[in-house]
Amino acid sequence: MEDLIKELKELEELVIRCMKCGTCQAHCPLYKKDFFEQSVARGKISMIESVYEGNLEDASRILKYIDYCLMCGRCKNNCPSGVKTDEIFLRAKSALRKVEKLPSWGTFVLKIVMEKPELLSKLSPLMHMGLKFGSKQVKADVFKPLFGLYSRNVASIAKKSFSDAYAGFHKAENEKFSVIFYPGCAVNYIYKHWGETIVKLLNKLDVSVYVPDVNKCCGIPAATLGDMQLYAKMVNENRQLFKNFDADYVITCCPTCAYGLFDMGEKVAEETFDKIEMDILVFLKEVIGLSPKQLTLEKIALHIPCHYDHSKDTFLKDLIKGISDNFYELKDQSCCGFGGTFNIKNYNSSKQIVKNKSEEIKTAEVEKLFTPCPGCAMQLTDGIIREGGEAEVLHPVELIYRGLIDSECFRR
Amino acid sequence: MKKSMYKKFQKIAGKKNCFVNPEELSGYCFDAFAKSNAFPEIVVAPESPECIPEIITLCNEENLAIVTRGAGTNLSGGTLPFDGSCVLLTTKLNKIKEINKADHYAVVEAGVVTADIANAAASAGLFYPPDPGSMNISTIGGNVAENAGGLRGLKYGVTKDYLMGLTLFDAEANKVIGGGRTVKQVTGFNLPGLFAGSEGLLGIMAEFILKLIPPPESSKSMLVTYNDILKACDTVSQIIAANILPATMELMDNFTIRTVEEATEIGLPVDADALLLLEIDGHHGQVEDEFDKVKSICKKNNGHLKIAEDEDSKNKIWEARRKALSSLARLKPTLILEDATVPRSKISSMMSSIMDISRKYEITIGTFGHAGDGNLHPTILTDKRDKDEMLRVEKAVDDIFSVALSLGGTLSGEHGIGTAKSKYLEMEYGSGTVKFMKNLKRGVDIKNVLNPGKMGL
Ligand SMILES: Cc1cc2nc3c(=O)[nH]c(=O)nc-3n(C[C@H](O)[C@H](O)[C@H](O)COP(=O)(O)OP(=O)(O)OC[C@H]3O[C@@H](n4cnc5c(N)ncnc54)[C@H](O)[C@@H]3O)c2cc1C
Ligand code: SF4
Ligand code: SF4
Repeated sequence: MEDLIKELKELEELVIRCMKCGTCQAHCPLYKKDFFEQSVARGKISMIESVYEGNLEDASRILKYIDYCLMCGRCKNNCPSGVKTDEIFLRAKSALRKVEKLPSWGTFVLKIVMEKPELLSKLSPLMHMGLKFGSKQVKADVFKPLFGLYSRNVASIAKKSFSDAYAGFHKAENEKFSVIFYPGCAVNYIYKHWGETIVKLLNKLDVSVYVPDVNKCCGIPAATLGDMQLYAKMVNENRQLFKNFDADYVITCCPTCAYGLFDMGEKVAEETFDKIEMDILVFLKEVIGLSPKQLTLEKIALHIPCHYDHSKDTFLKDLIKGISDNFYELKDQSCCGFGGTFNIKNYNSSKQIVKNKSEEIKTAEVEKLFTPCPGCAMQLTDGIIREGGEAEVLHPVELIYRGLIDSECFRR
Repeated sequence: MKKSMYKKFQKIAGKKNCFVNPEELSGYCFDAFAKSNAFPEIVVAPESPECIPEIITLCNEENLAIVTRGAGTNLSGGTLPFDGSCVLLTTKLNKIKEINKADHYAVVEAGVVTADIANAAASAGLFYPPDPGSMNISTIGGNVAENAGGLRGLKYGVTKDYLMGLTLFDAEANKVIGGGRTVKQVTGFNLPGLFAGSEGLLGIMAEFILKLIPPPESSKSMLVTYNDILKACDTVSQIIAANILPATMELMDNFTIRTVEEATEIGLPVDADALLLLEIDGHHGQVEDEFDKVKSICKKNNGHLKIAEDEDSKNKIWEARRKALSSLARLKPTLILEDATVPRSKISSMMSSIMDISRKYEITIGTFGHAGDGNLHPTILTDKRDKDEMLRVEKAVDDIFSVALSLGGTLSGEHGIGTAKSKYLEMEYGSGTVKFMKNLKRGVDIKNVLNPGKMGL
């Protein structure tokens, strides 16, 4: 216990910056649902302080509250005092995990997903079968399990993972650049077609693509479960792996993976990173110079993922607005409520958060909802179906690629 | 807390709305002023105003004092709990019950966030002017209890000017109604007036009737750059002396400008010694007319004026101002925000005294504030762990108060007294006033159960 208090005290330099102004209340999806201080950054920070100030006897009991967090980063992005809430929470959890054991599903995630990706790859056909048999199809490629704890609508699991199907070098005919494509777990097993589309699209645009043999998890689930060592290990291994390829860029399509490997990753990694990391859409715009226009007449909307590089928000919005004249700006700009492992631990809260946005999407009769993040896509698909909405959830590249194929409506 | 007592609270407010675990209580031992080492016994968050009298009765039976808490953003320690207190959290009393377009008023529960009221009014084509810097967070209950001001105070007044009526519960759990829906109402004491600024000491407010007004037809926002801050202060006094009432006249010193720019990258002129942010509003003709006069006064004082051409640049200007306090907080671990206010013709003398004090005690002070109201916020940046500097800070604060009072001003323009300034109350008003306030408080709260100790009462 004493070590624990010492470790929390080490956070003081970060924690003391919080002046308790409360601005985070206005941005925290959990506060807006609960209206309690313990849901929001300010309250959680006060708990940590109270431990090392000697006002809380049983420090381990604060884990539950620190852990009740989407790690959406909205408190950090809007904190006027620049408090690094993400780093505070991750490091606090890591300290607290040493005294509080993980639940068994957490151990499973850490052991199999992180450390044995090959095994998970082998299991995916089984999961695919299981889902087909034990579920009812509610929409193309979306199933509702008939048994089990949750009534969640889930996208089907690929029979063969993306890495298994696409590992190797995909050379473009007139190669101008070569890149590594890092799919991340969600694309590897579920949104495999995003990966396929990205490889094909890049090839068509004279970009050669390396796809690593095995998809090594970015480590974020380990970090959110409080295992910072394993997280650092995953970041290092991925960075090492990237060094094996002669490429200029690492392309991602999951903002959370990008955050894990590069943003927060920078703080935990020992391994250096010698390439340029870019989200696929930013790459298409800034490196290739692509501005797709009017690809559909349908009513479309955009959900900006919490972990998207927010200096690129305006670009992203302009890109999507250009895709259709019939663009609907969502009033609800909140987090989708997914939060990775948060969704597993607190499915009911998670469901409540996505409800408002899903209702708005339904009422506004949006036909296509774009979001460049597989986590958000999963969550919003589930939410929209639950509200009885019709909107199809897509990554923008899906439409961009289709547009490129029927290139009349495509200007470069 | 005894289990049986806890159960009674749960029965009133629901299990999920009562907290007694120390971890949970530690989320309520602070406000935007300070953090205390004492935790409350219990936090209870009623979902309906009907629960309030039951909670008061139970607290009376169990000898618990009641600290009412809204968003906990007050800057005077008004919500700090103590041993043996019950924090009554109003954040779940958040219904906007009515926006009346015919009679121009809104009926809202105490926990509604200020910005939500302003937005609901705007959607109905009406205007709720009070706009404290914290309006996206603070509750209307907290605004009334602190009589919060905002950027538009100069022309539109402060929270009390929009309070038509209220429903509250007193220390004996009686339901008390003050004011109402009519423009004129003199039935009995002016209770809305008494409760504006009552800081949770006289009753627990549950519901308000707020005045809404027609929005101004047009407005112009502008940014005036100075290379001498005292010239900026002179501009403010001269504009008012010329019988012009801008909606807003906000001042930022160079230190604040640089800090805000660093935090927000809005594009402020970081080399300027001071900035005035001005907004004129009203009918088209009037706005143009006043603008011409303002322009020439600024010019006379060597101010360089730039108009916000579109909505976007307008928003940026106000965003810059709203972020002032919080951006300063980035620089040092501890921030002490002062709120001394002077008659606005004295703003220039106040400003130069603040600069002297900062030099004398060798402390960092960033100053910004509602210059048009004579309400500056000298903000001291320090580190509470630095004992030596903290002593100097304390002396500087005393000096700031003395200067403000000697200029005919006041200790606090809008942040209230709470625990932060209770020791200075007598200095401003004398012992007779403090005694009167004490008698008033004891008269309606004999056992002193409502936020006892705050304001020194
Ligand atoms: C970034 C920032 C900017 C700010 N800018 C301004 C500004 O421009 N102008 C300004 O005036 N203030 C400003 N403030 C101070 C603060 O926001 C105001 O005092 C606000 O009115 C407090 O509202 P609250 O809901 O947070 O109240 P709390 O802090 O929760 O409570 C304040 C006081 O009101 C009492 N109270 C709350 N609700 C009730 C109720 N229902 N019945 C009875 N008593 C009650 C409490 O007991 C306490 O004494 C700012 C604060 C911050 C952090
Ligand atoms: S916004 Fe930042 S400084 Fe303000 S309370 Fe939240 S974490 Fe603390
Ligand atoms: S990360 Fe998101 S959910 Fe967690 S405290 Fe911050 S705003 Fe709230």
